[in-house]
Amino acid sequence: MQPNRIIVLVFALLTLAACPAFAAKTVIQYDCIPNYANWGGVTKAYQKKTGVKVPPDMKGSSVTMAALEAEKKNPKADCAYYNGAIGFQAASKGLHEPYKPKGWDRIPAGLKDPNGTWWTVHSAHVAILVNTSALRGKPVPRSFADLLKPIYKGMIVYDDPRIHGTGFTFVAGVNAILGGDKDLNAGFNYMKKLDANILKYAKENSYNELLRGEIPIWINADGNGLKAKHVDRAPIEVVIPAEGTMTLPLVMGLVKGAPHKEEAKKYLDWLLTDEAQHLMAESFFQPVMPVKLNASLQAKFPPRSAYARAKVLPLDQLAAQADVIKKRWEKEIEGGR
Amino acid sequence: MPRKTGFIFCSTVTIILMIMILLPLVVVVLGSCINASLLGLSTDIWSGSRHEIFDFSAFGYILENYGDWAVFSLELALACVVLCLLIAVPAGYTLVRHPFPGSGLIEELAVLPLSIPGLTLSMGLLAAYGEIRGPLLVMAGHLLYTIPFMVKVVTSTLRSFDVGRLEAAARSLGASFWQRLFLVVLPSLRHAMMTGALLVFAVSWGEFNVSFLLNRGQPQTFPAVLYDTYTNQSIQISSAATTIFLAIVIPAVVAIQWLGGRESVDVEQGA
Amino acid sequence: MNLPASSIPISSGGHARERRRLAPLLLCAPLLLLLLALLVWPLTHLLWQSLLPTDAPDSGITLRNYLEIFSVPRYRHALVWSLELSLAVAAGSTLICLAPAWLFTRCQFRGKRLMRGILTLPMTFAGMIVGFLMVILLGRSGFIPQVLERLTGQPLLSGISYQFPGLILAYLYFEIPRATLTLESALRKLDGRLEQAARSLGATRWQTFSLVILPTICPALISAFAVTFSVSLGSFGVLLVLSIRRFTLLPLEIFTQYIAPPTDQGLAAAMSLTLLTVAFGAGFGLRRFARSREVANA
Repeated sequence: MQPNRIIVLVFALLTLAACPAFAAKTVIQYDCIPNYANWGGVTKAYQKKTGVKVPPDMKGSSVTMAALEAEKKNPKADCAYYNGAIGFQAASKGLHEPYKPKGWDRIPAGLKDPNGTWWTVHSAHVAILVNTSALRGKPVPRSFADLLKPIYKGMIVYDDPRIHGTGFTFVAGVNAILGGDKDLNAGFNYMKKLDANILKYAKENSYNELLRGEIPIWINADGNGLKAKHVDRAPIEVVIPAEGTMTLPLVMGLVKGAPHKEEAKKYLDWLLTDEAQHLMAESFFQPVMPVKLNASLQAKFPPRSAYARAKVLPLDQLAAQADVIKKRWEKEIEGGR
Repeated sequence: MPRKTGFIFCSTVTIILMIMILLPLVVVVLGSCINASLLGLSTDIWSGSRHEIFDFSAFGYILENYGDWAVFSLELALACVVLCLLIAVPAGYTLVRHPFPGSGLIEELAVLPLSIPGLTLSMGLLAAYGEIRGPLLVMAGHLLYTIPFMVKVVTSTLRSFDVGRLEAAARSLGASFWQRLFLVVLPSLRHAMMTGALLVFAVSWGEFNVSFLLNRGQPQTFPAVLYDTYTNQSIQISSAATTIFLAIVIPAVVAIQWLGGRESVDVEQGA
Repeated sequence: MNLPASSIPISSGGHARERRRLAPLLLCAPLLLLLLALLVWPLTHLLWQSLLPTDAPDSGITLRNYLEIFSVPRYRHALVWSLELSLAVAAGSTLICLAPAWLFTRCQFRGKRLMRGILTLPMTFAGMIVGFLMVILLGRSGFIPQVLERLTGQPLLSGISYQFPGLILAYLYFEIPRATLTLESALRKLDGRLEQAARSLGATRWQTFSLVILPTICPALISAFAVTFSVSLGSFGVLLVLSIRRFTLLPLEIFTQYIAPPTDQGLAAAMSLTLLTVAFGAGFGLRRFARSREVANA
C-alpha cells in the first residue's frame, strides 16, 4: 500500500536527520529566556563565535532550582541563571559546583560567593514598565502608590514569585521600600491593595505582551523595559518608582555533575569577557565587570540620581526566607480571601 | 418540506462552528509570514522589517532553535505507531476472536486511559518511575495514551465483519493458526491499521501535558515549543511554530477522514 | 452477526485446541504487561503517595491530603470551578453539536466530508494551542477587537479571551469534534423511519421532536455529555496561556504544585486522584445510565 511506503520513507529520513542534530555541541543553561536580559542575543553571539549552541530555556528562577533539585542524581543542565536570592538558595542547597570563571577577581565582593558556588553576571533594578499607548490616555504612574489608583484596574502585571526571581524580588523587597518592619506586613498590605488592580500574576515572561500592549503595566527589570524602548522602539516608558526601588543582582552557577562541564566552563568564562558584558549592557542590564560603555549607550540608561533610593537587599536573608515568603504570598495574595 | 427548516437551521449552526474553528487558524497561518500590522493585529515587532509584506524569518528561528525538538517529536510519534501496531493488533485480534476468561477486563483496561485525565496518568508514572524521568518515560506515557485508539479501531473493525467465517474457510483449506493470522486476518485489517496508525501519530504529535511533565532536559516534544513561544516570544514566532504544528497534524486528520469514512472512531482523548 | 466469536461452530481437534489456547495468550501478553506496568502499578503508587503526608512520610497512612483539598478555600474553589466549567461546557457543546451531527447523519449533500473534516480538526490540539488561538482572536489586541475598532471606532470585545466567556469559548473549541463525533456515531444507530411514522400518524413537528426524537437520542446526548465533561475536567492548557486572575482549576493547581517549588507531592497526588474519581466516575455512571436507556428504548 502506498501510504505505508511513505511512512517508512519518512521514518528513514528522520533517523538520518536526527544524527547531525544531536552532534552539535551544546551547553544547557536553565533559565535562558530569550527576551529576558537579551539572552537570545547573547547566546546567538556565542554560537556565532564558537559554534556552541545554548538553546533557549523558559524556566524561571524557582522552577530552575526545583528542576536541579529533582535531577540531582542525573543532572541535565550545565549551568543555571537566577535572581540573586534564589541562586544563593540553590547554591546553599549544594546544587552547584564551585568554579571561579576567568576574571573572577574583578567581580566586586558581595556579588559573588567566596567559594565560587555563585557569582553575579549583571544586575538590574525593579521598575514599573509602562506601554503608554495601551494606557489609552491615562497618566503614567510615577510611584508604587500611584499603582493603587482605581484608574489602573485590570492593567498591572507582576510575575508569580513562586516561579520567577524578578517577581520574587519585588514581593520580598517592596516591604523595605515602603519602610516596613521585619514582619513584612507593610509589604503584604501593599500587595493586598495592589491586588485589586492586577490583571494577572504572570507565570511566563511577558515581554512581548508588553510590546503588544496586551499588558499595559509590567513590574519587572528596568533593563527589559529599556530594551523595549531603545532596541525594539516600542512606546514604553521605564519608571523608577518615587519611593525607591531594589537592586536585582542576577547570578549564575555551574551545576554539580554538569554533563558538558568543560564546554560550560568555557561559556561561563566568556560571559564575563568584555564582549559578552558589553552585549548585556546593550540590552540595558548593568554589567558586573567594569566595562567602558560608549557615551550614546550610557546616555540611554536612566541617570544615576534616579537610583539614589535603590535598596540593596541582603541575599542571604532573602534566601533564608524565600520559601516562607512564597507560601505566604500564595496564601494571602494569590489565594487570599 | 418538513426537513427544510431543520436543514437550514442545522447547516447554519454548522457553518458558524466551521468559521469559529477556521478563523483563528487562518489568522495564525497568515500571521506567521505576513507583517502583523497589515493583518490589523497590533504588532510586537516595532523595529522589525515593517516595510516588507512577507517575512519568513520566524520559520528560520523555529527551525534553527527547535529543529531537533521537532525531529524528536516526530520520531516519538512514529515509534508509538510501530509499537502500537506490534502490541495492539495481535492483542485486539485475540480479544475479539479468541476470548478467554478475563479478556473483557483487559479490553476495558486498554481503553481506560482515555477516560483518565492525562495529568493523573503522568503523576502516576512519575510516582512509580520518577527515577527514569526523561525520553523513555515520555515514550511510556505516549504509548499508554495512544494504545487505546489502536485497540479500539482493531476490535471494532474485527467485530464489524465476519472474520470468523473467513478464518474457518482458510482452516478448512488446511491453513495453520499463524498462516491464518498473516494471510487472512492481517490483510483484512490493513485499512483499520492505517487509520489507527494515523490516529496514533496525530495524538502523539499533539500531546502536551504528559510529555511536559514526564520529560526533562532537552529536546522536548513539539507542543512544548508552542508553549515556549506562546509564553515568551512574539506573535510572529508563535504563529510560525503553530503553522509548523498544523502542517503536520492537518494532513493526518484529513487522511483519517478520507480513510475512515465508514467506521467512526470514538474520540475521548484529553486536551 | 453479533455472536461471540467463540460460539461460532468450528470443529477442532485436540492439537488445534491446545494451539488455540497458547497462541492467543501469547499475542495478548504484551498488551497486558504494558497495562499492568504503565497503568495499574503507577496508579497504585499514586494512591499510596496520596495517603502519606509529604512532610512526615513515616507517620503512617492518613487522609489529611484529601481533607486539605476541601478545607483550604483555594483548592475547594478550584474543584468547584472545575466542576462548574466542565458542566457548562459539556452541556453547551452537546446541545450545539447536535446540529452538525444531525446534518452529517440525516442529510446527503456535497462538501459533507470537507465540513466534517473541518469540525474534527481541533481533535488533537492541546488546550494550550486553543488558548493561544483565543488570544490571537479575542485578546486585548486581538484580531476581532482590532477589526471592530477600525469599523466602529471602539475596540469591542477586547480582552474577552481573558474573561469567563472567552474561557467557555476556548473549551467549546476543542470539545466540538468530540461532541460531534460521539453524537454522530450514536445517531447513526437510530432508525430514521420512526420519526417518519410519527409524522405520518399526524404528529406535529414539536410532538415528533419531544415524544419521538428526544427520547431516542437521549442516550446519545448523555454519552456525548459524559465524554466532553471528563475531557474538560482534565484540561488546563487553555488557562495556562490565558491565566485569568483569581480563577483556577483543579488540574492547574496540580500542575503548579508540580512545577513551582516547594512541591507538596502528597497533596498533588490526592488532587489528581480526586480529579480521576470525578472524571471517571461521572463518565462511567453516565454511560451506564445511557446504556440502560438504550435498552429500555429498544
